[in-house]
Amino acid sequence: MAIKIDALKCTGCMACEMACGYHRDDGFALLSSCIVAYRTKEKKDYFGVLLKREEDLLIARPEGTEIKRIGETEETPAAGKQQDASAKPMLLREACDLCEEMDLGPMCIKFCPFDAISED
Amino acid sequence: MEYLSANKILVVDLASAEVTDDELSDELVGEKIGGAAVAKHLYEQHADGDPIVIGTGLLTGTLFPAAAAGVITAKSPVTGKISHCPITLKVGLEIQYSGFDYIVIKGKSPEPAFLWIHDGVADISSAADVWGKNVWETTDTWRKAMGDDLIQTIVIGKAGEDQSDLAQVCYNYWASGDRWGFGKNFGAKNLKGLAFRGMGLLEMADAEEFVELALDVLEEVKEGEFVGKKGIGDICTAIGEADINAWLAPIVHRHSACYNTPYATNTFVFLDEDAQKLTEPEHSEPGFLITDIFGLIGFKNLGLSAVEAGNLLKACAKYGIDAAAVAELSLAAGKKTLAEIQGSFATLVGTVTRPGSGIFSPWCPNQPLFGKFDDADDDPAAWWERRMAVASIFGIHPILAVMSPEITEDDLLEIATVGTEVEFSQDILDNAVNYLLK
Repeated sequence: MAIKIDALKCTGCMACEMACGYHRDDGFALLSSCIVAYRTKEKKDYFGVLLKREEDLLIARPEGTEIKRIGETEETPAAGKQQDASAKPMLLREACDLCEEMDLGPMCIKFCPFDAISED
Repeated sequence: MEYLSANKILVVDLASAEVTDDELSDELVGEKIGGAAVAKHLYEQHADGDPIVIGTGLLTGTLFPAAAAGVITAKSPVTGKISHCPITLKVGLEIQYSGFDYIVIKGKSPEPAFLWIHDGVADISSAADVWGKNVWETTDTWRKAMGDDLIQTIVIGKAGEDQSDLAQVCYNYWASGDRWGFGKNFGAKNLKGLAFRGMGLLEMADAEEFVELALDVLEEVKEGEFVGKKGIGDICTAIGEADINAWLAPIVHRHSACYNTPYATNTFVFLDEDAQKLTEPEHSEPGFLITDIFGLIGFKNLGLSAVEAGNLLKACAKYGIDAAAVAELSLAAGKKTLAEIQGSFATLVGTVTRPGSGIFSPWCPNQPLFGKFDDADDDPAAWWERRMAVASIFGIHPILAVMSPEITEDDLLEIATVGTEVEFSQDILDNAVNYLLK
Protein backbone atom coordinates (compact mmCIF):
# COMPACT_ATOMS: atom_id res chain seq x y z
CA MET A 1 0.00 0.00 0.00
CA ALA A 2 1.13 3.56 -0.68
CA ILE A 3 -0.26 7.03 -0.12
CA LYS A 4 -1.81 8.85 -3.06
CA ILE A 5 -2.50 12.61 -2.97
CA ASP A 6 -4.86 14.57 -5.18
CA ALA A 7 -3.53 18.12 -4.94
CA LEU A 8 -6.58 19.57 -6.65
CA LYS A 9 -8.85 18.22 -3.92
CA CYS A 10 -6.48 19.54 -1.28
CA THR A 11 -7.50 22.81 0.36
CA GLY A 12 -4.29 23.25 2.34
CA CYS A 13 -6.06 22.75 5.68
CA MET A 14 -3.11 20.90 7.28
CA ALA A 15 -5.25 18.22 8.93
CA CYS A 16 -2.96 15.57 7.38
CA GLU A 17 0.09 17.26 8.84
CA MET A 18 -1.40 17.37 12.33
CA ALA A 19 -2.69 13.78 12.10
CA CYS A 20 0.81 12.63 11.16
CA GLY A 21 2.26 14.71 13.96
CA TYR A 22 -0.04 12.95 16.42
CA HIS A 23 1.19 9.59 15.12
CA ARG A 24 4.77 10.65 15.71
CA ASP A 25 4.48 12.47 19.04
CA ASP A 26 1.34 11.10 20.77
CA GLY A 27 0.24 14.70 21.11
CA PHE A 28 -0.57 17.52 18.72
CA ALA A 29 2.53 18.96 17.07
CA LEU A 30 3.80 19.61 13.57
CA LEU A 31 7.55 19.26 13.88
CA SER A 32 7.85 15.55 13.14
CA SER A 33 5.20 15.06 10.45
CA CYS A 34 6.39 13.31 7.29
CA ILE A 35 3.47 14.80 5.35
CA VAL A 36 3.48 18.58 5.10
CA ALA A 37 1.17 21.12 3.51
CA TYR A 38 3.38 23.18 1.24
CA ARG A 39 2.20 26.77 1.85
CA THR A 40 5.07 29.21 1.68
CA LYS A 41 3.86 30.84 -1.53
CA GLU A 42 0.80 32.30 0.10
CA LYS A 43 0.42 35.40 -2.08
CA LYS A 44 0.52 33.21 -5.18
CA ASP A 45 -2.07 30.74 -3.88
CA TYR A 46 0.34 28.00 -4.86
CA PHE A 47 0.05 25.13 -2.43
CA GLY A 48 0.30 21.38 -2.32
CA VAL A 49 1.50 18.51 -0.20
CA LEU A 50 4.93 16.93 0.39
CA LEU A 51 5.30 13.37 1.63
CA LYS A 52 8.64 11.99 2.70
CA ARG A 53 8.91 8.31 1.86
CA GLU A 54 11.74 5.86 2.51
CA GLU A 55 13.52 6.47 -0.76
CA ASP A 56 12.08 9.66 -2.14
CA LEU A 57 9.83 12.65 -1.77
CA LEU A 58 6.32 12.67 -3.21
CA ILE A 59 5.39 16.21 -4.26
CA ALA A 60 1.71 16.74 -5.00
CA ARG A 61 1.56 20.01 -6.90
CA PRO A 62 -1.61 21.48 -8.43
CA GLU A 63 -0.30 20.69 -11.92
CA GLY A 64 0.57 17.09 -11.09
CA THR A 65 2.50 14.73 -8.86
CA GLU A 66 6.26 14.36 -8.97
CA ILE A 67 8.57 11.92 -7.28
CA LYS A 68 12.06 13.23 -6.57
CA ARG A 69 15.10 11.82 -4.92
CA ILE A 70 15.54 13.53 -1.56
CA GLY A 71 18.01 16.37 -1.79
CA GLU A 72 17.36 17.19 -5.42
CA THR A 73 14.13 19.14 -5.35
CA GLU A 74 13.21 22.74 -4.99
CA GLU A 75 11.68 21.91 -1.63
CA THR A 76 14.86 20.21 -0.40
CA PRO A 77 17.53 21.88 -2.52
CA ALA A 78 21.14 20.97 -2.70
CA ALA A 79 23.52 22.60 -0.26
CA GLY A 80 24.24 26.23 -0.96
CA LYS A 81 20.88 27.00 -2.54
CA GLN A 82 18.31 29.04 -0.69
CA GLN A 83 15.38 27.05 0.61
CA ASP A 84 12.07 27.74 2.31
CA ALA A 85 12.21 27.63 6.07
CA SER A 86 9.29 25.24 6.13
CA ALA A 87 11.18 22.70 4.02
CA LYS A 88 14.31 22.61 6.10
CA PRO A 89 13.17 19.93 8.52
CA MET A 90 12.04 17.51 5.77
CA LEU A 91 15.51 16.04 5.42
CA LEU A 92 15.58 15.32 9.12
CA ARG A 93 12.15 13.83 9.48
CA GLU A 94 11.38 10.13 9.52
CA ALA A 95 9.84 8.67 6.39
CA CYS A 96 6.20 7.63 6.16
CA ASP A 97 5.58 4.23 7.75
CA LEU A 98 1.87 4.19 6.82
CA CYS A 99 1.15 4.51 10.56
CA GLU A 100 2.00 0.87 11.11
CA GLU A 101 0.94 -0.38 14.53
CA MET A 102 -1.88 2.15 14.71
CA ASP A 103 -5.39 0.76 14.47
CA LEU A 104 -6.72 3.96 12.93
CA GLY A 105 -3.94 4.56 10.41
CA PRO A 106 -2.85 5.86 8.02
CA MET A 107 -3.90 8.91 9.99
CA CYS A 108 -3.52 11.39 7.12
CA ILE A 109 -6.09 9.47 5.09
CA LYS A 110 -8.49 9.21 8.00
CA PHE A 111 -8.36 12.87 8.94
CA CYS A 112 -8.35 14.53 5.52
CA PRO A 113 -11.71 16.35 5.47
CA PHE A 114 -11.68 16.49 1.67
CA ASP A 115 -10.66 12.91 0.82
CA ALA A 116 -7.65 14.27 -1.01
CA ILE A 117 -5.45 11.51 0.39
CA SER A 118 -6.12 7.88 -0.35
CA GLU A 119 -4.51 4.47 -0.59
CA ASP A 120 -2.82 3.66 -3.86
CA MET B 1 -3.58 23.69 32.98
CA GLU B 2 -1.66 20.61 31.96
CA TYR B 3 -3.58 19.51 28.88
CA LEU B 4 -4.61 21.18 25.59
CA SER B 5 -2.69 24.18 26.77
CA ALA B 6 0.68 25.87 26.85
CA ASN B 7 -0.25 26.79 30.43
CA LYS B 8 0.78 30.39 29.92
CA ILE B 9 -0.97 33.74 29.86
CA LEU B 10 1.28 36.47 28.52
CA VAL B 11 0.76 39.99 29.87
CA VAL B 12 2.44 42.79 27.94
CA ASP B 13 2.47 46.36 29.19
CA LEU B 14 3.46 48.43 26.18
CA ALA B 15 3.85 51.59 28.26
CA SER B 16 6.50 50.14 30.56
CA ALA B 17 7.78 47.48 28.13
CA GLU B 18 7.20 44.94 30.88
CA VAL B 19 6.46 41.37 29.80
CA THR B 20 5.26 38.80 32.33
CA ASP B 21 3.53 35.48 32.17
CA ASP B 22 1.06 33.75 34.45
CA GLU B 23 -0.13 30.18 34.61
CA LEU B 24 -3.51 29.33 33.12
CA SER B 25 -5.21 27.92 36.19
CA ASP B 26 -7.39 24.82 36.21
CA GLU B 27 -9.97 26.84 38.14
CA LEU B 28 -10.30 29.44 35.38
CA VAL B 29 -10.60 26.77 32.68
CA GLY B 30 -13.03 24.82 34.85
CA GLU B 31 -15.25 27.89 35.10
CA LYS B 32 -14.91 29.64 31.74
CA ILE B 33 -13.64 26.71 29.58
CA GLY B 34 -11.62 28.79 27.10
CA GLY B 35 -11.55 31.11 24.11
CA ALA B 36 -13.71 34.21 24.27
CA ALA B 37 -14.97 33.50 27.80
CA VAL B 38 -11.46 33.37 29.27
CA ALA B 39 -10.43 36.31 27.09
CA LYS B 40 -13.32 38.40 28.44
CA HIS B 41 -12.35 37.45 32.00
CA LEU B 42 -8.78 38.60 31.31
CA TYR B 43 -10.10 41.79 29.69
CA GLU B 44 -12.03 42.60 32.86
CA GLN B 45 -9.08 41.69 35.07
CA HIS B 46 -6.84 44.16 33.19
CA ALA B 47 -9.54 46.68 32.25
CA ASP B 48 -7.58 49.67 33.58
CA GLY B 49 -5.00 49.13 30.83
CA ASP B 50 -7.62 49.25 28.04
CA PRO B 51 -6.44 45.81 26.96
CA ILE B 52 -6.59 43.86 23.76
CA VAL B 53 -6.75 40.15 24.57
CA ILE B 54 -5.77 37.54 22.02
CA GLY B 55 -6.43 33.89 22.74
CA THR B 56 -7.23 30.42 21.55
CA GLY B 57 -10.22 28.19 22.16
CA LEU B 58 -9.94 25.07 24.26
CA LEU B 59 -9.75 22.87 21.15
CA THR B 60 -7.90 25.23 18.77
CA GLY B 61 -5.14 23.46 16.88
CA THR B 62 -6.36 19.94 17.66
CA LEU B 63 -7.83 17.33 15.31
CA PHE B 64 -11.40 18.16 16.28
CA PRO B 65 -13.11 19.28 13.04
CA ALA B 66 -12.90 23.04 12.37
CA ALA B 67 -10.78 23.70 15.48
CA ALA B 68 -9.14 26.61 13.67
CA ALA B 69 -10.23 29.68 15.52
CA GLY B 70 -8.65 31.99 18.00
CA VAL B 71 -10.20 35.21 19.24
CA ILE B 72 -9.43 38.89 19.67
CA THR B 73 -11.37 40.48 22.53
CA ALA B 74 -11.41 44.21 23.17
CA LYS B 75 -13.73 47.17 23.61
CA SER B 76 -14.95 48.22 20.19
CA PRO B 77 -14.28 51.91 19.57
CA VAL B 78 -17.41 52.11 17.42
CA THR B 79 -19.92 50.30 19.64
CA GLY B 80 -18.36 50.75 23.08
CA LYS B 81 -19.03 47.08 23.82
CA ILE B 82 -16.63 44.29 24.66
CA SER B 83 -16.65 42.40 21.41
CA HIS B 84 -14.96 39.36 19.92
CA CYS B 85 -13.40 38.83 16.52
CA PRO B 86 -12.56 35.34 15.24
CA ILE B 87 -8.97 34.57 14.25
CA THR B 88 -9.01 32.28 11.24
CA LEU B 89 -6.81 30.91 8.41
CA LYS B 90 -3.72 29.37 10.05
CA VAL B 91 -3.20 32.23 12.51
CA GLY B 92 -5.17 30.67 15.39
CA LEU B 93 -3.19 27.46 14.90
CA GLU B 94 0.12 29.30 15.04
CA ILE B 95 -0.87 31.17 18.20
CA GLN B 96 -1.72 27.86 19.85
CA TYR B 97 1.73 26.44 19.13
CA SER B 98 3.68 29.64 19.82
CA GLY B 99 3.71 28.94 23.53
CA PHE B 100 0.92 31.07 24.97
CA ASP B 101 -2.79 30.41 25.43
CA TYR B 102 -3.71 34.06 25.94
CA ILE B 103 -1.96 37.37 25.34
CA VAL B 104 -3.06 40.48 27.20
CA ILE B 105 -1.76 43.71 25.66
CA LYS B 106 -2.26 46.83 27.71
CA GLY B 107 -0.98 50.39 27.77
CA LYS B 108 0.41 52.45 24.92
CA SER B 109 3.87 52.06 23.50
CA PRO B 110 5.85 55.32 23.33
CA GLU B 111 7.09 54.31 19.87
CA PRO B 112 5.67 52.08 17.12
CA ALA B 113 6.12 48.48 18.22
CA PHE B 114 5.17 44.93 17.39
CA LEU B 115 5.14 41.71 19.37
CA TRP B 116 7.22 38.79 18.14
CA ILE B 117 5.91 35.69 19.82
CA HIS B 118 7.74 32.45 19.21
CA ASP B 119 8.26 29.19 21.08
CA GLY B 120 7.25 30.57 24.46
CA VAL B 121 9.22 33.80 24.10
CA ALA B 122 7.68 37.24 23.64
CA ASP B 123 9.65 40.25 22.47
CA ILE B 124 8.48 43.83 22.14
CA SER B 125 10.26 44.96 18.98
CA SER B 126 10.46 48.23 17.15
CA ALA B 127 8.00 48.73 14.30
CA ALA B 128 9.58 52.01 13.21
CA ASP B 129 10.63 50.49 9.89
CA VAL B 130 7.12 49.32 9.03
CA TRP B 131 5.05 52.18 10.47
CA GLY B 132 3.54 53.73 7.37
CA LYS B 133 3.85 50.52 5.37
CA ASN B 134 0.75 48.68 4.28
CA VAL B 135 -0.36 45.29 5.60
CA TRP B 136 1.26 43.31 2.80
CA GLU B 137 4.58 45.13 3.04
CA THR B 138 4.60 44.65 6.80
CA THR B 139 4.01 40.91 6.71
CA ASP B 140 6.64 40.57 3.98
CA THR B 141 9.11 42.62 6.02
CA TRP B 142 8.65 40.55 9.16
CA ARG B 143 8.81 37.22 7.33
CA LYS B 144 11.97 38.27 5.56
CA ALA B 145 13.56 39.64 8.73
CA MET B 146 12.86 36.42 10.60
CA GLY B 147 13.71 34.24 7.60
CA ASP B 148 10.51 32.27 7.78
CA ASP B 149 7.63 32.47 5.31
CA LEU B 150 5.33 30.59 7.65
CA ILE B 151 5.23 33.30 10.30
CA GLN B 152 1.59 34.25 10.85
CA THR B 153 0.70 37.86 11.49
CA ILE B 154 -2.02 40.09 12.86
CA VAL B 155 -1.35 43.51 11.36
CA ILE B 156 -2.83 46.96 10.86
CA GLY B 157 -2.37 49.21 7.86
CA LYS B 158 -2.74 52.93 7.34
CA ALA B 159 -6.34 52.97 8.58
CA GLY B 160 -5.28 51.61 11.95
CA GLU B 161 -2.29 53.91 12.23
CA ASP B 162 -4.60 56.87 11.55
CA GLN B 163 -7.09 55.47 14.08
CA SER B 164 -10.02 55.31 11.70
CA ASP B 165 -13.22 53.82 13.11
CA LEU B 166 -13.24 51.57 10.04
CA ALA B 167 -9.75 50.20 10.67
CA GLN B 168 -9.52 46.44 10.56
CA VAL B 169 -6.78 44.14 11.75
CA CYS B 170 -5.71 41.78 8.97
CA TYR B 171 -4.29 38.26 9.03
CA ASN B 172 -1.06 37.93 7.02
CA TYR B 173 -2.33 39.66 3.87
CA TRP B 174 -6.04 39.06 4.10
CA ALA B 175 -9.22 40.57 5.56
CA SER B 176 -10.44 39.41 8.95
CA GLY B 177 -13.70 39.25 10.85
CA ASP B 178 -12.87 42.53 12.58
CA ARG B 179 -16.04 44.54 12.08
CA TRP B 180 -15.41 46.31 15.38
CA GLY B 181 -12.66 48.76 14.49
CA PHE B 182 -10.07 46.82 16.50
CA GLY B 183 -7.50 48.15 14.04
CA LYS B 184 -8.05 51.51 15.74
CA ASN B 185 -7.29 49.95 19.14
CA PHE B 186 -3.98 48.71 17.75
CA GLY B 187 -3.17 52.13 16.28
CA ALA B 188 -4.02 53.88 19.54
CA LYS B 189 -1.46 51.68 21.30
CA ASN B 190 1.22 52.33 18.64
CA LEU B 191 0.99 48.59 18.04
CA LYS B 192 1.59 47.64 14.41
CA GLY B 193 0.75 44.02 15.07
CA LEU B 194 1.92 40.61 16.19
CA ALA B 195 3.97 37.91 14.52
CA PHE B 196 3.67 34.29 15.62
CA ARG B 197 5.65 31.12 15.10
CA GLY B 198 5.85 28.06 17.26
CA MET B 199 6.73 24.41 17.39
CA GLY B 200 4.88 23.58 20.59
CA LEU B 201 3.22 20.35 21.63
CA LEU B 202 -0.31 19.96 22.94
CA GLU B 203 -0.85 17.00 25.20
CA MET B 204 -4.14 15.36 26.02
CA ALA B 205 -5.27 13.55 29.15
CA ASP B 206 -6.51 10.60 27.07
CA ALA B 207 -5.01 11.04 23.62
CA GLU B 208 -6.35 7.87 22.06
CA GLU B 209 -9.92 8.51 23.15
CA PHE B 210 -9.69 12.16 22.10
CA VAL B 211 -8.57 11.27 18.59
CA GLU B 212 -11.20 8.56 18.19
CA LEU B 213 -13.94 10.99 19.24
CA ALA B 214 -12.61 13.66 16.85
CA LEU B 215 -12.67 11.14 14.02
CA ASP B 216 -16.23 10.08 14.85
CA VAL B 217 -17.38 13.71 14.64
CA LEU B 218 -15.42 14.30 11.43
CA GLU B 219 -17.10 11.33 9.80
CA GLU B 220 -20.52 12.73 10.72
CA VAL B 221 -19.55 16.23 9.53
CA LYS B 222 -18.43 14.81 6.19
CA GLU B 223 -21.98 13.56 5.64
CA GLY B 224 -23.38 17.06 6.12
CA GLU B 225 -25.51 19.09 3.75
CA PHE B 226 -22.56 21.23 2.64
CA VAL B 227 -20.78 18.33 0.97
CA GLY B 228 -20.15 19.18 -2.66
CA LYS B 229 -20.25 22.93 -2.00
CA LYS B 230 -17.12 25.02 -1.84
CA GLY B 231 -15.76 28.48 -1.63
CA ILE B 232 -17.23 31.83 -0.86
CA GLY B 233 -19.55 31.78 -3.88
CA ASP B 234 -21.59 28.85 -2.59
CA ILE B 235 -21.86 30.55 0.81
CA CYS B 236 -23.22 33.63 -0.96
CA THR B 237 -25.73 31.43 -2.77
CA ALA B 238 -26.82 29.94 0.56
CA ILE B 239 -27.63 33.40 1.93
CA GLY B 240 -29.61 34.43 -1.13
CA GLU B 241 -26.93 35.99 -3.33
CA ALA B 242 -27.15 33.35 -6.02
CA ASP B 243 -25.70 35.39 -8.86
CA ILE B 244 -22.33 35.92 -7.13
CA ASN B 245 -21.07 32.52 -8.28
CA ALA B 246 -21.49 33.19 -12.02
CA TRP B 247 -20.13 36.74 -11.66
CA LEU B 248 -17.04 35.54 -9.82
CA ALA B 249 -16.42 32.24 -11.62
CA PRO B 250 -14.16 33.50 -14.46
CA ILE B 251 -11.52 34.69 -11.99
CA VAL B 252 -11.72 31.93 -9.38
CA HIS B 253 -8.41 30.13 -9.04
CA ARG B 254 -8.75 27.78 -6.06
CA HIS B 255 -10.60 27.48 -2.79
CA SER B 256 -8.79 26.94 0.47
CA ALA B 257 -9.72 26.05 4.02
CA CYS B 258 -8.69 27.37 7.37
CA TYR B 259 -6.85 24.92 9.59
CA ASN B 260 -8.59 21.51 9.73
CA THR B 261 -11.87 23.03 8.57
CA PRO B 262 -13.97 20.69 6.42
CA TYR B 263 -15.31 23.47 4.19
CA ALA B 264 -13.11 25.75 2.08
CA THR B 265 -14.45 29.13 3.19
CA ASN B 266 -11.81 31.14 1.30
CA THR B 267 -11.62 31.73 -2.44
CA PHE B 268 -8.55 32.95 -4.28
CA VAL B 269 -9.18 35.04 -7.39
CA PHE B 270 -6.57 35.84 -10.01
CA LEU B 271 -6.72 39.48 -11.07
CA ASP B 272 -4.00 39.63 -13.70
CA GLU B 273 -3.29 36.03 -14.70
CA ASP B 274 -5.30 33.19 -16.18
CA ALA B 275 -7.29 31.81 -13.26
CA GLN B 276 -7.28 28.31 -14.75
CA LYS B 277 -3.51 28.11 -14.72
CA LEU B 278 -2.29 25.50 -12.26
CA THR B 279 1.46 26.02 -12.44
CA GLU B 280 3.12 28.54 -10.16
CA PRO B 281 2.09 32.08 -11.16
CA GLU B 282 4.70 34.28 -12.76
CA HIS B 283 3.60 37.40 -10.88
CA SER B 284 4.52 37.61 -7.23
CA GLU B 285 1.08 39.01 -6.36
CA PRO B 286 -1.37 37.66 -8.96
CA GLY B 287 -4.57 38.05 -6.99
CA PHE B 288 -6.39 38.04 -3.71
CA LEU B 289 -7.76 35.56 -1.18
CA ILE B 290 -11.38 36.50 -0.50
CA THR B 291 -12.24 35.81 3.13
CA ASP B 292 -14.98 38.45 3.57
CA ILE B 293 -18.42 37.41 2.33
CA PHE B 294 -20.11 40.77 2.92
CA GLY B 295 -17.31 42.88 1.50
CA LEU B 296 -17.57 40.89 -1.71
CA ILE B 297 -21.35 41.18 -1.85
CA GLY B 298 -21.17 44.89 -1.08
CA PHE B 299 -18.77 45.62 -3.93
CA LYS B 300 -20.84 43.58 -6.36
CA ASN B 301 -23.90 45.58 -5.34
CA LEU B 302 -22.04 48.77 -6.26
CA GLY B 303 -22.03 47.54 -9.85
CA LEU B 304 -18.34 46.70 -9.99
CA SER B 305 -16.99 43.89 -12.13
CA ALA B 306 -15.56 40.86 -10.35
CA VAL B 307 -12.02 41.97 -11.23
CA GLU B 308 -12.71 45.48 -9.90
CA ALA B 309 -14.21 44.03 -6.72
CA GLY B 310 -11.18 41.78 -6.29
CA ASN B 311 -8.85 44.72 -6.73
CA LEU B 312 -10.84 46.78 -4.25
CA LEU B 313 -10.85 43.99 -1.66
CA LYS B 314 -7.10 43.76 -2.11
CA ALA B 315 -6.74 47.52 -1.68
CA CYS B 316 -8.86 47.40 1.49
CA ALA B 317 -6.70 44.62 2.95
CA LYS B 318 -3.50 46.48 2.18
CA TYR B 319 -4.91 49.64 3.79
CA GLY B 320 -6.37 47.63 6.69
CA ILE B 321 -9.91 48.89 6.34
CA ASP B 322 -13.22 47.03 6.74
CA ALA B 323 -14.36 46.26 3.18
CA ALA B 324 -18.00 45.67 4.08
CA ALA B 325 -18.11 49.10 5.75
CA VAL B 326 -16.39 50.68 2.76
CA ALA B 327 -19.01 49.16 0.45
CA GLU B 328 -21.92 50.34 2.59
CA LEU B 329 -20.64 53.89 3.02
CA SER B 330 -19.65 54.17 -0.65
CA LEU B 331 -23.13 53.11 -1.70
CA ALA B 332 -24.66 55.73 0.60
CA ALA B 333 -22.29 58.41 -0.74
CA GLY B 334 -22.94 57.53 -4.37
CA LYS B 335 -19.35 56.49 -5.03
CA LYS B 336 -19.30 53.79 -7.64
CA THR B 337 -15.95 53.57 -9.36
CA LEU B 338 -12.89 51.75 -8.14
CA ALA B 339 -10.78 54.92 -8.21
CA GLU B 340 -13.40 57.00 -6.37
CA ILE B 341 -13.81 54.43 -3.63
CA GLN B 342 -10.14 53.69 -3.18
CA GLY B 343 -9.39 57.41 -3.13
CA SER B 344 -11.84 57.94 -0.27
CA PHE B 345 -10.36 55.46 2.23
CA ALA B 346 -8.72 58.21 4.29
CA THR B 347 -11.86 60.33 4.60
CA LEU B 348 -14.58 57.70 4.79
CA VAL B 349 -16.79 58.11 7.88
CA GLY B 350 -20.34 57.23 8.82
CA THR B 351 -22.57 54.79 10.61
CA VAL B 352 -22.30 51.22 9.48
CA THR B 353 -24.82 48.41 9.87
CA ARG B 354 -23.56 45.60 12.07
CA PRO B 355 -26.24 42.93 12.56
CA GLY B 356 -26.42 41.20 15.93
CA SER B 357 -25.98 42.35 19.49
CA GLY B 358 -22.48 43.74 19.05
CA ILE B 359 -20.74 40.85 20.80
CA PHE B 360 -19.89 38.45 17.96
CA SER B 361 -18.74 39.52 14.55
CA PRO B 362 -21.39 39.75 11.81
CA TRP B 363 -18.59 38.73 9.44
CA CYS B 364 -20.15 35.28 9.94
CA PRO B 365 -23.60 34.96 8.32
CA ASN B 366 -26.36 35.08 10.92
CA GLN B 367 -28.30 32.12 9.59
CA PRO B 368 -27.80 28.40 9.02
CA LEU B 369 -25.81 27.66 5.87
CA PHE B 370 -26.83 24.53 3.94
CA GLY B 371 -27.56 22.52 7.08
CA LYS B 372 -30.79 22.34 9.07
CA PHE B 373 -30.55 23.29 12.73
CA ASP B 374 -33.60 22.20 14.71
CA ASP B 375 -33.26 25.03 17.22
CA ALA B 376 -32.67 27.84 14.70
CA ASP B 377 -36.26 28.49 13.65
CA ASP B 378 -37.85 29.69 16.90
CA ASP B 379 -35.47 32.54 17.62
CA PRO B 380 -32.83 32.80 14.86
CA ALA B 381 -31.00 35.71 16.49
CA ALA B 382 -30.65 33.92 19.83
CA TRP B 383 -29.62 30.72 18.04
CA TRP B 384 -26.86 32.55 16.17
CA GLU B 385 -25.52 34.34 19.26
CA ARG B 386 -25.37 31.08 21.21
CA ARG B 387 -23.75 29.22 18.30
CA MET B 388 -21.12 31.97 18.04
CA ALA B 389 -20.54 31.92 21.79
CA VAL B 390 -20.01 28.16 21.88
CA ALA B 391 -17.76 28.25 18.81
CA SER B 392 -15.68 31.06 20.28
CA ILE B 393 -15.22 29.21 23.58
CA PHE B 394 -13.97 26.00 21.98
CA GLY B 395 -12.14 27.53 19.00
CA ILE B 396 -14.46 26.26 16.27
CA HIS B 397 -14.50 28.13 12.97
CA PRO B 398 -17.65 30.30 13.20
CA ILE B 399 -18.73 29.69 9.61
CA LEU B 400 -18.50 25.94 10.07
CA ALA B 401 -20.48 26.38 13.27
CA VAL B 402 -23.46 27.70 11.29
CA MET B 403 -22.92 25.10 8.57
CA SER B 404 -22.61 21.88 10.51
CA PRO B 405 -25.32 20.84 12.99
CA GLU B 406 -23.30 17.64 13.35
CA ILE B 407 -20.98 19.57 15.68
CA THR B 408 -23.03 19.54 18.88
CA GLU B 409 -22.51 21.00 22.33
CA ASP B 410 -22.53 17.44 23.70
CA ASP B 411 -19.66 16.50 21.37
CA LEU B 412 -17.66 19.52 22.41
CA LEU B 413 -18.19 18.94 26.13
CA GLU B 414 -17.31 15.27 25.86
CA ILE B 415 -14.11 15.75 23.92
CA ALA B 416 -13.06 18.69 26.10
CA THR B 417 -13.47 16.49 29.17
CA VAL B 418 -11.53 13.62 27.60
CA GLY B 419 -8.79 16.00 26.53
CA THR B 420 -8.32 17.79 29.83
CA GLU B 421 -9.62 15.59 32.67
CA VAL B 422 -11.76 18.57 33.70
CA GLU B 423 -15.42 17.54 34.00
CA PHE B 424 -17.18 20.00 31.72
CA SER B 425 -20.94 19.91 32.17
CA GLN B 426 -23.77 21.57 30.31
CA ASP B 427 -24.21 23.90 33.29
CA ILE B 428 -20.61 25.07 33.00
CA LEU B 429 -21.06 25.74 29.30
CA ASP B 430 -24.36 27.55 29.87
CA ASN B 431 -22.72 29.76 32.47
CA ALA B 432 -19.80 30.56 30.17
CA VAL B 433 -22.17 31.37 27.31
CA ASN B 434 -24.35 33.56 29.54
CA TYR B 435 -21.23 35.36 30.77
CA LEU B 436 -20.37 36.22 27.17
CA LEU B 437 -23.89 37.26 26.27
CA LYS B 438 -24.71 39.39 29.30
